[in-house]
Amino acid sequence: MSTKYTLELRPDKKEIKVSKGENLLACAIKAGVYLNSSCGGDGVCGRCKVLIKKGDYKTEPTGRLTSEEKKKGYVLACLTTIQGDLTVHIPKESKLDLAKISDGDAQFLRLKGIYSEAEEADAGKAIIDESIYSHSPLATKVYLQPPLPTLEDSISDLERLYRELRKTRDIPIMQTGLTNIKRLGSLLRHSNWKITATLGKRNETTEIVVIEPGDTSNRNLGVAFDIGTTTVTGQLVNLNTRKILGTKATYNKQVAFGSDVISRIIYATEEHGLERLHHAVVDNMNDIIRVLIEETKLNLTDIMGVMCAGNTTMIHLLLRVDPTFIRREPYVATANFVPVIRAAEVGIKIHPRGLLACVPGVSTYVGGDITAGVVASGIANEAKTTLLIDIGTNGEIALGNREWLVCCSASAGPAFEGSGVTCGMRATKCAIQGVKIKDRQDGIKLTTIKGGKPCGICGSGYIDILAELFRNGIMNKNGKINREIKSKRVREGKDGLEYVVCWKEESEADSDIVISEADIENLKCSKGAIYSAAATLLKKVGLTFKDIDQVMIAGGFGTNIDIDKAIMIGLLPDIDRAKFKFIGNSSLVGSREILLSYQAMEKAEEIARKMTYIELSVEPRYMDEYVASLFFPHTDLDKFPSVKEAIRGVRSK
Amino acid sequence: MALELLKERWSSAINVLKVGAVKEEGGTRASAITVGGQTTLPFLLDEGGMPHRPVVAMEIFDVAPLEWPVSLLEPFGDAVKDPVKWAKKCINEFKADLICLTLKGTHPEAENISADKAVELVKNMLKEISTPLIIIGSGDKEKDNDVLARCSQATKGENCLFGLAAQDNFKTLVASCMADDHCIIADSPIDINIAKQVNILITDMGFKPEKIAMHPSTAALGYGMEYVYSIMERSRLAAFVGDKMLAMPFIIFVGQEAWKVKEAAANVADEPGWGDERMRGPLWEAATAVAMLHAGADILVMRHPEAVATVKRSIDSMMKGNND
Repeated sequence: MSTKYTLELRPDKKEIKVSKGENLLACAIKAGVYLNSSCGGDGVCGRCKVLIKKGDYKTEPTGRLTSEEKKKGYVLACLTTIQGDLTVHIPKESKLDLAKISDGDAQFLRLKGIYSEAEEADAGKAIIDESIYSHSPLATKVYLQPPLPTLEDSISDLERLYRELRKTRDIPIMQTGLTNIKRLGSLLRHSNWKITATLGKRNETTEIVVIEPGDTSNRNLGVAFDIGTTTVTGQLVNLNTRKILGTKATYNKQVAFGSDVISRIIYATEEHGLERLHHAVVDNMNDIIRVLIEETKLNLTDIMGVMCAGNTTMIHLLLRVDPTFIRREPYVATANFVPVIRAAEVGIKIHPRGLLACVPGVSTYVGGDITAGVVASGIANEAKTTLLIDIGTNGEIALGNREWLVCCSASAGPAFEGSGVTCGMRATKCAIQGVKIKDRQDGIKLTTIKGGKPCGICGSGYIDILAELFRNGIMNKNGKINREIKSKRVREGKDGLEYVVCWKEESEADSDIVISEADIENLKCSKGAIYSAAATLLKKVGLTFKDIDQVMIAGGFGTNIDIDKAIMIGLLPDIDRAKFKFIGNSSLVGSREILLSYQAMEKAEEIARKMTYIELSVEPRYMDEYVASLFFPHTDLDKFPSVKEAIRGVRSK
Repeated sequence: MALELLKERWSSAINVLKVGAVKEEGGTRASAITVGGQTTLPFLLDEGGMPHRPVVAMEIFDVAPLEWPVSLLEPFGDAVKDPVKWAKKCINEFKADLICLTLKGTHPEAENISADKAVELVKNMLKEISTPLIIIGSGDKEKDNDVLARCSQATKGENCLFGLAAQDNFKTLVASCMADDHCIIADSPIDINIAKQVNILITDMGFKPEKIAMHPSTAALGYGMEYVYSIMERSRLAAFVGDKMLAMPFIIFVGQEAWKVKEAAANVADEPGWGDERMRGPLWEAATAVAMLHAGADILVMRHPEAVATVKRSIDSMMKGNND
């Protein structure tokens, strides 16, 4: 093992020293080159395809490469070990585009909602009136000038501080760490009895987090995070004024270890797995904080608190808590309500004594992200019965009003996030997001994010394609492509028939951009899972879609979907279009609300406690609903009257 | 005081399916078979009508099914070696309402009989028998698409019942049956939603719903029959309240399922405690068939003559409103 070889990665021109027998995928990650790997290196997904230019290697056989590709020298990085100096070319489609954090990129990430119309972009307003929760942030700074001690007024320094604080606000239980007490005596005297105390709400107790000399009370910052399985988003907020100072998003670096929570939980059980996953997300957060601070020219040490909303697994990994038991029956998390801790304990670089809090989760599969979403959407305060659908890999759905709340989680899979489909990609630059088929033969109009040449298809693009293929009779209700269509776009592919969405010459991709029957099947399962989960949840409480006053669609992906087309394919219910509301990244908005208000935190806790979780896997009706939904738009066409009308019109043409 | 029974009334009826065509209709059958049309759950004749009684088709193969248990082969003697003779025996001696010809021998992994030969057999069969005919493929998708399409063309006008059209392979057969005016069997794997989906896919191609029979899958007594029962019952209830895409009559392949199970097939030497298989086998098949009648079966495809006789008696009795 001592022999060191050189691994050269092109076109990045990165070189690192590696040992004999090391795994190529692991080495690439070590070199800072992230490859696509939905399966986490099991050789199953075939997305870490690389081209060996020269050198010695061993690779295991795989059916994920065509014989032509094998002849050219393509291998799957995860199945390849290094046996000598090696030069490897990494094709564009295999590279995980770990976008640099910049405004431009952030704007077009999966969480487009941050700058979306639904959220009123620049202002970043929540959809509900923010003032419904009192202003009581996670960390509060108070400037104090306690009277000097005298022989008559000789209470201790600490009690003097408490007395002074209690003059300004009602604080029943207060505590201070030994570190602060040790410094208190000299600090008060050196600062001439002018100090700023930072108070933190740690559950029921108010803690004096830190005491600083002078008046720093106007410099009090916080960061709200949404830690998604795919994307991490952070928002810098002035805790005093509630002003949003900036929002940044980046891909979750954990993606390199598996694209869904289950493969990450499995990865966590491997040697150093948990550590790597933990460091990946902490790096993400520190990166975001650093960039936000650099751009705003503020001080890192003025950030006194961080609030995180994420699914249960993400929170476990952030806190470096073993997530193993989440995926073992009976699926129990280690903690859904995590107490407030010091951010430094997990490696988040803010003020060394700054706090880190997590939005409480409902159950193992309905995490703090959905609680935050419910807080942000305000459905727990409304008289209107609202259905909240977060379209993501874990398709969380909440239903209710101020009187009651139920929720469930539908394993929709990552297809609408562009994973597990032939030409899928996340909603980033160059992704096809809009499709219009003008005629059956050839005419097709594509729009891409930022308008460049297409290099793949993102979720909203897939919704459009499905709806257009269906509307034009190119695909039947079962999701099979019509062989009889006379178009050069319909052809025999690797997985049955496929439809060419964009020819190689007109794209940035290395081959034609297609949608195959296997992709359609995959997307059909995803849309079926979301619709049937919502239908089951409604049935469980004795309601139908007609009884719903409004439907809120969350998730960055949800902000740029065409509602009519989503209904056409049966992803969303066929009800009055005016009832649909896009709320963008509700998890981030909720996270911010909770960062800014202890009352919102209490609301989140109340929601998490009161929301009834329905486990669909034990719900006998669910399977029935699910199979009924595996059709375009649905087995029961009467549930989709407008689609029925639309396709009748097409046929009569 | 007399107790008044609550009667259920439904708004919709099951489709009427006609198999076979007489001379005036362009065929050569002595008479056609008509099933369906119910406005009530099976045999609840006080609640609604059952204008057409369920029928029994007897199943024969194009090649002698020597794998069948002796107790099942025995009644037919040498006739199993000649499909036409076999069919005639079923009609004349065992009173089959119609014949179900399964083209097992065309399977590439069986005898791989050519489409030409199959067409010849089917034509010959229609010449020699006067009842309507059900024609079933071997189960090999590609071969069936060839064989059944050719058979359909060769029997144009006879209004045969062809099967099976499944979710992943229906287009060729539907197109053929539509062109040649035959009926079709829509197959689904014990799933009410898929059953409906297949019917939608078939009718979306322009096929008339009245020419479809549904096969919701069959299971033998003791082998999940109650699951099929509940799917059939749910389909019927949906049809009665107006679901047109579930209003097709049912065809149930009792024989092939019942004789697959050891309780029917094992001989007494191997299972001394179970009694004579010559009595046990037909009883197992008949019991399965009667249960399926109560679930709503319209066409039963059966094998053993004694089971057929028992079931026909049972139908007679139940059609008289005798539900004992």
